[in-house]
Amino acid sequence: MTRILIIVPFALDEDGIKNREAQSRYVPLPEGWQLTYRPVTCGPTSFMSPHDWGLMDMAIFEAGCRAEAEGFDAVCIDTMSDSGMVMLRSVLSIPVIGAGKASMLYALTLGSKFSVLAQWEPALPRYRKAIREYGFDRQCASVRSFDQPPDFSNLLEGKEDKVFPRMRDVAMRCIEEDGADVICLGSTTMHQAGEYLAQHLPVPVVNPGPLTYKLVETFLALGLSHGRDVYPGPVEPRLDMLQAMMKAGAQAEKAAKS
Amino acid sequence: MKKVMVIVPFPMGGEDLARRQAQLQAVDLGPGIAFHYRPVRVGPKNYSSQHDMALADFSILDAGLDAEKEGFDAICIDTMSDSGMAMLRSVLIIPVIAPGRHSILLAQMLGEKFSILMMWDRWKMLYTKTLGELGMEHKCASMRSIGIMPDNKSLLSGKEDEVFPLLLDAAKKCIEQDGAQVLILGSTTMHEAHSWLRERLGVPVINPGPLTYKLASIALDLNLTHSKRAWPAPLAPKHDMIRAIGAAGAAFLEAQQ
Repeated sequence: MTRILIIVPFALDEDGIKNREAQSRYVPLPEGWQLTYRPVTCGPTSFMSPHDWGLMDMAIFEAGCRAEAEGFDAVCIDTMSDSGMVMLRSVLSIPVIGAGKASMLYALTLGSKFSVLAQWEPALPRYRKAIREYGFDRQCASVRSFDQPPDFSNLLEGKEDKVFPRMRDVAMRCIEEDGADVICLGSTTMHQAGEYLAQHLPVPVVNPGPLTYKLVETFLALGLSHGRDVYPGPVEPRLDMLQAMMKAGAQAEKAAKS
Repeated sequence: MKKVMVIVPFPMGGEDLARRQAQLQAVDLGPGIAFHYRPVRVGPKNYSSQHDMALADFSILDAGLDAEKEGFDAICIDTMSDSGMAMLRSVLIIPVIAPGRHSILLAQMLGEKFSILMMWDRWKMLYTKTLGELGMEHKCASMRSIGIMPDNKSLLSGKEDEVFPLLLDAAKKCIEQDGAQVLILGSTTMHEAHSWLRERLGVPVINPGPLTYKLASIALDLNLTHSKRAWPAPLAPKHDMIRAIGAAGAAFLEAQQ
């Protein structure tokens, strides 16, 4: 049995998690694989400000920090922001794959320039920051938004007729005006549009969530994981403290809602 | 059953081919996929100069030209030079996976900076070309060679005692002096040293051949192949001319023996 932990970056309920789980239907997975989708204990509600980004790092870090001891073989992070990835790599030896950097690199196996399709305007600064930090400015044709406020729980459900054609039109501008020869979906929450876009666009479309599952399969099959030199372990781990903090955060959220 | 063609970049017989096929043991590929090794019928003696690279591109194109018609689902190219990849991608729809480009990209999923370990300095031009195409020169910490002429048929067998420690020494310099966080073996012909090196180094070591096999497998599962915008099809394909050139080259080599 191979156990994969998939960290969902919002504190979603059961229905919200089901919409994320649906991603595993797009790709065949090896026999004996078990995917566990785990929401974070607490975290931000939006994802558009440095306030959100910092909290998201901590939330994902906490959700996965015991993954190895819990018997998982790898961790996938269900967000293109790669939030928490470097922190988790510093405390885990098993592969930890975020959807962002990995899908941009994978896009470059399929073409020479990629564009990222973003949900709405407020999401653009985060992508531009990541692309610059990864050093992919030269390989990125553009980041464009299709101007639809995100719903991190229901995703694109019920909005297909309105939103999918708009996504296609924006992607066509990436291809024709910006020179993209591959399109990266800008969020794992867009997975429901992946097949539609693949059918209606003249270039490959990278659906980042399912890609991370197959990349984990690749790394496990080859016995590869991140290097310790890049992600050194802490001199004094404080994972107990981290978990107590996020538990308190969840209680505060609950109290605020009631 | 999915069928993948592995194009071996030098003409060779069964025993030498078996040393290439041994790369399959380094990776878990699961059921439902089979790999068929096909040596080219013509080509250069080795990859030492631009003279050789032109012949290499052609010979690999010739070997894979009809892969789709022959029922193959994907192609892997068994050389870090990625010779023939661009030409094959322009004439085929099925995934064509070459280890140079893919190792460089996958290395960056495991760390930021990588070094390439090579047998001799003449291979430097191979990686320089791919790094330039990708625009990722700044991601490469170094390329280090052990200054030994490679043997593309017998590979490293019989030379383990001499070659492995030299590779280890060069690899350590890549990590300690050049700042490499990931190492890439500079040739699929170095695969016999992979597990030995990996046990002795503290960084991930990419074994490029087996990596391409797994990437071919997941490309099929993801239903993804290269973009035709990046590798456009020719307006006037020269299939028969390519075949005639290949056959003439093969006849020339045969007459020489």
